[in-house]
Amino acid sequence: MKKWLSIILGIMTATGGFLDVGAFATAGVAGAKFGLGLIWAMLLGTVAIILLLEMAGRFAAVSGKTYMDAIREDFGFKFYLLPLTSELIANSLMLAAEIGGIAIALSLFTGISWHSVFPVAALLVWVLCWRAPFSLIENVPALLGLVTLSFVVAVFVLGGPQPEVLSTLWKPNIKQGELANYLYLSAAILGAIISPYLLYFYSSGAREEKWSEDDLVANRVTSIVGMGFGSLSAIALIFLAAIVLQPLNISASTLGEVGITMAKPFGVIGSLLFAGGLFACCLGAALEVALSVGYNIAQGLGWEWGEDKKPVEAARFNLAMTIFLLVAVAIGLIGIDPLQLALFGSTITALFLPISLVPLLVLMNDRQYLGDKTNRRFTNSAILLVLVIAFVVAAVSLPLEFLSGGG
Amino acid sequence: MWRNTGIGFLLLVLLVMVTGCQATQSEFTRTAGDAGAAFAAASTTITYVHQGKITKAYASSAFVNYQSELDGLDQSLPSQQGAPDKPAIKHLLDLYKQAIKAVDNPCLDASCDWRRQVEALNRASETFVKAGGS
Repeated sequence: MKKWLSIILGIMTATGGFLDVGAFATAGVAGAKFGLGLIWAMLLGTVAIILLLEMAGRFAAVSGKTYMDAIREDFGFKFYLLPLTSELIANSLMLAAEIGGIAIALSLFTGISWHSVFPVAALLVWVLCWRAPFSLIENVPALLGLVTLSFVVAVFVLGGPQPEVLSTLWKPNIKQGELANYLYLSAAILGAIISPYLLYFYSSGAREEKWSEDDLVANRVTSIVGMGFGSLSAIALIFLAAIVLQPLNISASTLGEVGITMAKPFGVIGSLLFAGGLFACCLGAALEVALSVGYNIAQGLGWEWGEDKKPVEAARFNLAMTIFLLVAVAIGLIGIDPLQLALFGSTITALFLPISLVPLLVLMNDRQYLGDKTNRRFTNSAILLVLVIAFVVAAVSLPLEFLSGGG
Repeated sequence: MWRNTGIGFLLLVLLVMVTGCQATQSEFTRTAGDAGAAFAAASTTITYVHQGKITKAYASSAFVNYQSELDGLDQSLPSQQGAPDKPAIKHLLDLYKQAIKAVDNPCLDASCDWRRQVEALNRASETFVKAGGS
């Protein structure tokens, strides 16, 4: 009974914690600009993150090591610096954007400029990283994030997409000169959904909760069902933007505009549900990003780590997290709109995906770590294909986006 | 082997960038389109607040972002790559001046004429979106 309750809680947290500022931003802009023409990227990303999350959990449960531990052990210190550096670059952008997302949500509730609320949002993240137990960080924001399932209800309340919107699902409406932007958004969606920080957090969380081979079923069910349900909210947001914003020529260039999609079917309650969902999801993601960086550094350098330990017992782990948070705050204080920062950060994440995730594929085929629980050939091929697609699309679209004044 | 792969990849990126003109918009087209979209969002936000679909706080927060998106456009637009002739730019700037007043001082309660602001914003939005090639 206890096991099933734990599985249900896992599914609920994976569902509620699926969205982050990158997913909000990419889904809103994708729907507003290209209708349903980028849902393929969301589905591809969802399949990939389900497979990857299951792998990260299986690895931690069977080998008793976290992903970063194993990279350091198997590939050596010099190699470890490579994924660490890519994670530091991509995650500093994403953490700044997540804190910006929290600030935007607070601003939508209060009317105070998000620039003014940004330091408050950063302080909230730091206090929770510093003092909150792992179970609170893992569960509370994600459970609050379940309000994002209201996006799915909103699509039905609005009567679903009209035939001309529905046709963009298989025939994207890419106007002249917009191909680069379409590719840029494809890469951003893949980067936003296949976020490596999730894997580091998930595998470290599995160790914090002392998973063993007995937890493999729970791991598989949580990954597949939780992430599957979670992606429904993101897909629904694309539908909402396509139904509500595209006909009004609104391009969803700020998060407040994305929230208008919920005001149409539900009025004030809808817009507040959006702001509440944005707050919970960005808070959860900000905590996960900050913690994953702390985990990466501490595990790689052999320091004491653990969110359930007192700060003094894992002082360097907490210090690394705090310094990283300060870097992200400095980036955020430049004043770039969180949505634009999230799009850029997500595309950079997509560019770095092979560096972050190819080592996982190598480890997942190592019998020394996994015995008979290694990957199947299909899983390896599927993940490799997605990584190549994400990398090529990001590498091609980033320079083009900069050339045309975007990015 | 790695050197050859690296050079090959760099050449590919260069090729894409050189032939990428077909895939991207000019700076002017992009800016005009973005401005048109921001004016449309501002118009919808004012309409929704008066229809009771969003709170005044929500609208105030949204307008901070519209302002930072649209401020200074009259300075940058004429000199952008791909900008049209002077009369066309003047027409756009005239509409911009009317609409930016509504963006800077949006009418979010009953004490002012919000419908006039919405009209100005819609006029600007339509023209800018058209100039942006949509």
